[in-house]
Amino acid sequence: MNLPNLSLADFLPLLPAIIMVVGASILLLSEVFLSTTASRAYQAVLTVVTAVAAGAMALTTMFEPPQEVMLGFGVMDPFSSFLTFVVCVGLALATLSSVSFLRKRGAERGEFYALMLFASAGMSLLAMSNELITLFVNIEVLSLSTYALTSYLRRGTRPSEAGFKYFILGAFSSAVLLYGAALLYGATGTTHLTAMAGPLSTAMSSQPGLVYAGIILVITGFAFKVAAVPFHMWTPDVYEGAPTPVTALMSVGVKAAAFAAMVRVFFMVGKGVDPQILLSLFSVLAFLTMVAGNLLAIPQRNVKRMLAYSSIAHAGYLLVGVAALFVTGPGEQFRLLGASALTGGTPLDLARAEALRGILYYLLAYTFSAVGAFTIVSVLERREDEEKGTAWDLERFSGLAQRKPGWAFAMAAFMLSLGGIPPTIGFMSKLLIFQAAVDAGLIGLTIVGVLSSAVGIYYYLRVVVYMFMRPVPEGAQALEKSWSTELALVLSTAAVVILGIIPGPVMGWLEQASSIFGQ
Amino acid sequence: MVPITYYLLLAAALFCMGMFGVLVRRNALVVFMSVELMLNAANLTFVAFARMRGDNLGHVSAFFVIAVAAAEAAIGLAIVIAVFRSRGSILLEDLRTMKH
Repeated sequence: MNLPNLSLADFLPLLPAIIMVVGASILLLSEVFLSTTASRAYQAVLTVVTAVAAGAMALTTMFEPPQEVMLGFGVMDPFSSFLTFVVCVGLALATLSSVSFLRKRGAERGEFYALMLFASAGMSLLAMSNELITLFVNIEVLSLSTYALTSYLRRGTRPSEAGFKYFILGAFSSAVLLYGAALLYGATGTTHLTAMAGPLSTAMSSQPGLVYAGIILVITGFAFKVAAVPFHMWTPDVYEGAPTPVTALMSVGVKAAAFAAMVRVFFMVGKGVDPQILLSLFSVLAFLTMVAGNLLAIPQRNVKRMLAYSSIAHAGYLLVGVAALFVTGPGEQFRLLGASALTGGTPLDLARAEALRGILYYLLAYTFSAVGAFTIVSVLERREDEEKGTAWDLERFSGLAQRKPGWAFAMAAFMLSLGGIPPTIGFMSKLLIFQAAVDAGLIGLTIVGVLSSAVGIYYYLRVVVYMFMRPVPEGAQALEKSWSTELALVLSTAAVVILGIIPGPVMGWLEQASSIFGQ
Repeated sequence: MVPITYYLLLAAALFCMGMFGVLVRRNALVVFMSVELMLNAANLTFVAFARMRGDNLGHVSAFFVIAVAAAEAAIGLAIVIAVFRSRGSILLEDLRTMKH
């Protein structure tokens, strides 16, 4: 029997995930020795420190050349490092916003933060997965943690209902994905993504049915995970029922990791099959998701639910970027608008690198804006109203500008950013992604995207109107202040505004991260 | 020796039965069992292809999937219990607090 030969060099790239798992284990173990009344303030601090350490570790590997780890089951490249960084940012901000949320509900426990860390470790590993079974296991690591987090507050009826819906549809989509992976394995004889392209093109001529079925099942599985229409039905209910900080982590972390895995899988699969098939599949998904997400969000008076539909719409814009990865030739008549900063390679490579840059920047932008918006939602809600379902009504935002000008300003910044209005990070990211789509020749899809995001501005600005132009309602409850929430808000507002004006260092990282698939 | 096609057909039938169960059945536990059926269909496909190709990758994959399915069952049953405690029923039509 020959055991695999693993050296330290195989484990070093996994350090961000290892740090998070160690932090989570410390939290779980320390919880055993605490009495129920002991102070648990250190737990959030430890989680944030762990997230920052893991994020910093990911940043140090940003400029290293791609390398295979663990016998090729994973790969560490600037793309995965950037994704890990995004996940750590989302984790740190969501943790900061959950401190006062949990304290108000008397639910401060180490398990909560430990599960957040386990989920984030899974997301980081998912971005690195280079093999279908590794990918499946990592999807499950992050999903199982988020199922538990969704139904973490067991007392109400909503969290358990949301948890159950999330669990059933999550497990269902994992099973669909796995069956697709099994068919692809049958067609190619390998589950390693890098080794798949060659056998896939031979299998395409001998057993096309098997390959098509595999690809469609895998796309369906991912479409559930990223909440693309028509596989989005679970999203509003789950996002509404889950504790708000968990919703924040779900909407940014799970989505970012699932997009990373999807891009990696289909970029490799696209080398073996006709990219035209993938282009049309992703274009249809992107079209439906953008239009339906924005239209369904309009009638929502429940802000948390509105943000859930808006997260569907944002998945649609991201899917435009994914579709742009599979063009076979960039539109000849168009000068490559945004590729000037990227160097080397053919126009096709540049167009792909540009699309990848758009996707990555969009994920970062959405992380800051969405976590910030969910943080404001979480400070305005009260536990007593959750059963009635009025905890997240637009009325809650009436006159916020008079009561808490700082929060109202922050929320306005997040709404403008989600709507894609300059000078915010949301505008920059939409610009990059649509620029890439135009360069790839996807003009129709870009027009639909711009029009539907114009529709989206209506429901984002409605929140701003309520905050700044409505009087404070009678008998409004006092708003509680807490240092951690303020810190989360300051950090995300600063990022939303500053990165919208000077993308600065992030652009450097992005060019690094997006160049890898260009070769 | 049974030809591999039969195994694949059985797996596909199991998968479709599981999918049908998830979409149609109203009892949370039955839905949950249907998901397990789908995972096992994938397992059977992996093992059948591994037999056909004579490599071990598919067998190893099946073991990983079995382990993951066990973890999933633990979480899933815990959530079903939480649902039952909060509303005394595990029928899916009772799960509509959040409809608009």
